[in-house]
Amino acid sequence: MTAVSFETAVSAGLAREAQVRHRRYIKQAVWGAIAIAVLWYAAHQIKFSPYAVAAGVPFMWDFLTRLFPPDLSYMSVLGSATIETIQIAIWGTLLAIILSIPFSLLGARNTTPHIIVFHATRVFLNALRAINELVFALIFVSAVGLGPFAGVLAIALHATGMLAKFVAEEIESVDKGQIEAQLSTGASRMQVILFGVIPQVIPSFVGYSIYRLDVSIRSATVLGLVGAGGLGFSLIQTMKLFKYHQTATCILVIFLLVLVSDWICGKLRRKVI
Amino acid sequence: MSLDVQRQTQSLLDELAARQRWHFHHILIVALIIAFLVWCANGVDLRPRETFSAVPVIADYFGRMWPPKWSFFSEIWKPAIETLYVALWGNVLATIVGVPLGLLAASHVSSSRIVRSSAMGILNVFRSISELIWAILFVAAVGLGPFPGALALGMNYGGILGRLYAEAIENVDKGPIEAMEATGASKLQVIMFAIIPQVLPQFVSYNLYWFEVGVRSATVLGMVGAGGIGFELITAIRLFEWREVGLILLFILAMVTVIDLASTYIRSRMY
Amino acid sequence: MLMPNAQNTTTMLSVRGLTKSYGGTIHALRGIDMEVKKGEFLVILGPSGAGKSTLLRCLNRLVEPTEGQIFHNDVQITGNRRNLRAVRRDFGMVFQQFNLVRRLSVLTNVLTGRLAYRSSWRSLFYNFPQEDKRIAIECLARVNMDHKAFQRADTLSGGEQQRVAIARALAQQPTVILADEPVASLDPKIARQVLTYLREVAHELGITVLCNLHQVEYTREYAERIVGMSKGRIVFDGTGAELTDDVIHRIYYRDPDEETAEEK
Ligand SMILES: Nc1ncnc2c1ncn2[C@@H]1O[C@H](COP(=O)(O)OP(=O)(O)O)[C@@H](O)[C@H]1O
Ligand SMILES: [Mg+2]
Repeated sequence: MTAVSFETAVSAGLAREAQVRHRRYIKQAVWGAIAIAVLWYAAHQIKFSPYAVAAGVPFMWDFLTRLFPPDLSYMSVLGSATIETIQIAIWGTLLAIILSIPFSLLGARNTTPHIIVFHATRVFLNALRAINELVFALIFVSAVGLGPFAGVLAIALHATGMLAKFVAEEIESVDKGQIEAQLSTGASRMQVILFGVIPQVIPSFVGYSIYRLDVSIRSATVLGLVGAGGLGFSLIQTMKLFKYHQTATCILVIFLLVLVSDWICGKLRRKVI
Repeated sequence: MSLDVQRQTQSLLDELAARQRWHFHHILIVALIIAFLVWCANGVDLRPRETFSAVPVIADYFGRMWPPKWSFFSEIWKPAIETLYVALWGNVLATIVGVPLGLLAASHVSSSRIVRSSAMGILNVFRSISELIWAILFVAAVGLGPFPGALALGMNYGGILGRLYAEAIENVDKGPIEAMEATGASKLQVIMFAIIPQVLPQFVSYNLYWFEVGVRSATVLGMVGAGGIGFELITAIRLFEWREVGLILLFILAMVTVIDLASTYIRSRMY
Repeated sequence: MLMPNAQNTTTMLSVRGLTKSYGGTIHALRGIDMEVKKGEFLVILGPSGAGKSTLLRCLNRLVEPTEGQIFHNDVQITGNRRNLRAVRRDFGMVFQQFNLVRRLSVLTNVLTGRLAYRSSWRSLFYNFPQEDKRIAIECLARVNMDHKAFQRADTLSGGEQQRVAIARALAQQPTVILADEPVASLDPKIARQVLTYLREVAHELGITVLCNLHQVEYTREYAERIVGMSKGRIVFDGTGAELTDDVIHRIYYRDPDEETAEEK
């Protein structure tokens, strides 16, 4: 290559680089402007302002000082509420695990008996996912009365939606070769599901169920806010009575419970995966 | 078949039978698990008969929600959209909280153990306290409205995202980092050119996913006065206006579905 | 020749005018006619894309042929989907990727070969009758894998997995084994071992084997009869001795002009 043509090539390369860069800048600027406009408008709508934060700091401080120190003697009273919280989460998750087996099979393209069943199941599961446990809990408290039973049902329904959709997607992504091998032996549809599909999805099913238990424990701590049992009930009750030191204890216990559950569930999950 | 082969087959059959046999400790474990579950069920008033009889009652309540009271729409669309704004700002605040803490908690970025574990500790506190409890605190601090809701989501999801960011950074391919360090690049340059490009798509996908989750959470923040549709929802339920409840749930479902589809689309475009 | 069952002249499979097209544009099979005798070890040789896999999959109806008939023991098995499970049970299949269920034990994998003999309801409890267990263990012993019966399938090497896959096919007590590139993922030494097992069990049990290969070398070594395929057609049918360089050239490098002329 001659020196001249080399120089031309280099300057062409530089020009090209600049062109690409400018085009990228323009694109980024446009998207950035749109994002800022949306965020600014949203901030305006929710009355978000740094001033409000600043002005809120003294109130926040005041509230925190009223919380401190936590009334540790109240912990002994919270024992049964803590146990109830765990029990709600365990049964909510267990019911969800049981329910999600048929729903995940019906909601996966490769195991559903009919495409209409598939779509109906997915819509139903999306509805369960979209509605927060707390909303279910509110409705169930009206339907079956105050108490942990409403909480169990609420957690069970929401967790079924989450779990079944996750498992359905796992079922859809199983290794096709293993399935084909079993079909080729003359196995029936159900036998292929039992011996080909289930062994493949079991690890992720178990792993996600453990994760769901962790999430359910977290949710169960607040179900009491609407009267569906557990620690949240003590939290809201003590607040209504202005016993803030006891409220602080509730928050502390919830924090510890979630931390421990996170730790145990994390360990269990690493064991199965 | 030779006698030898037959004997070999029989010994494997026996081994199989032995493996499938129930031993005392299996029975004990199963019995303990069942006893534990029964104790749990007892604690939460879960009894088979009552559970089955609750099914028609619940079905009846959902039946009362149909048909939705369409005329109520004019009253709920504003708080419904407000829910989205809360979730959006919650996500932005969570990123603002999560990125610095996540970076400090990752070993590729911060070399001091103390800094790492205190960043992780703060993230754990933020993460472990549910958004509703944060919302109660912030409502007490800045008053009723959507703004404390966004702050609450920012704290809770900031903790969650921060930890995910930190894990993503821990798991990056170390090759490019070493290559950058070998050229004599500074720590900041390594972060900007070797770490961020690798983790950015993952960060974006985490944010999208937790935005979806945030929208669903934001629908209940109103129950503690932190803005959004939750206030209308709890009011309608308290007043037994089931058809209004039906409309609100339908609206939430529509909103969440649209966001799901949009974020699936964005994620599919990203890779 | 290695044939203890002597030359059995009864026809096991007969294929007439078999075609398969995907979406009406891709013609994987363009009219296959062939007869396979009982106990024959037949290698189907051809470059990738020739339609070998499609042909085997048509035989056990994993793929539904577009046209043509297949007779198995003089019974037509095409057209009717009712007896599908029984047909598939009679055809054992061995795959390039082994396709064992990785998380199940070796023995359970072989037992899945017995599924077609048992009702779905019984399978619901992952339970097999004693007779099936005995058959499965005997099949494992035939490929010398019985010592690993209780290991998980994914702990085995490729060659071992393929032997287990052969045992699974044998557990079906099939009349035909279809092997689709069974050694394409294995190194030469292991590949020969697997092909030897395949040929031996076939001869000992009088099973007809149709084996897809794309390597001329192995074909020459193992085949008793070779069917050469190219572009969805059979272009050669003969013994290893008749597989001259000229024939190989015809199978692998067909004249592009000749091809376009045929398309018309
Ligand atoms: N499911 C399918 N859809 C569309 N085309 C296919 C499908 N399966 C195979 N083909 C095509 O049919 C032709 C023959 O394929 P195949 O039987 O797999 O050949 P071989 O096994 O000899 O490599 C190829 O051109 C392949 O692309
Ligand atoms: Mg092939």
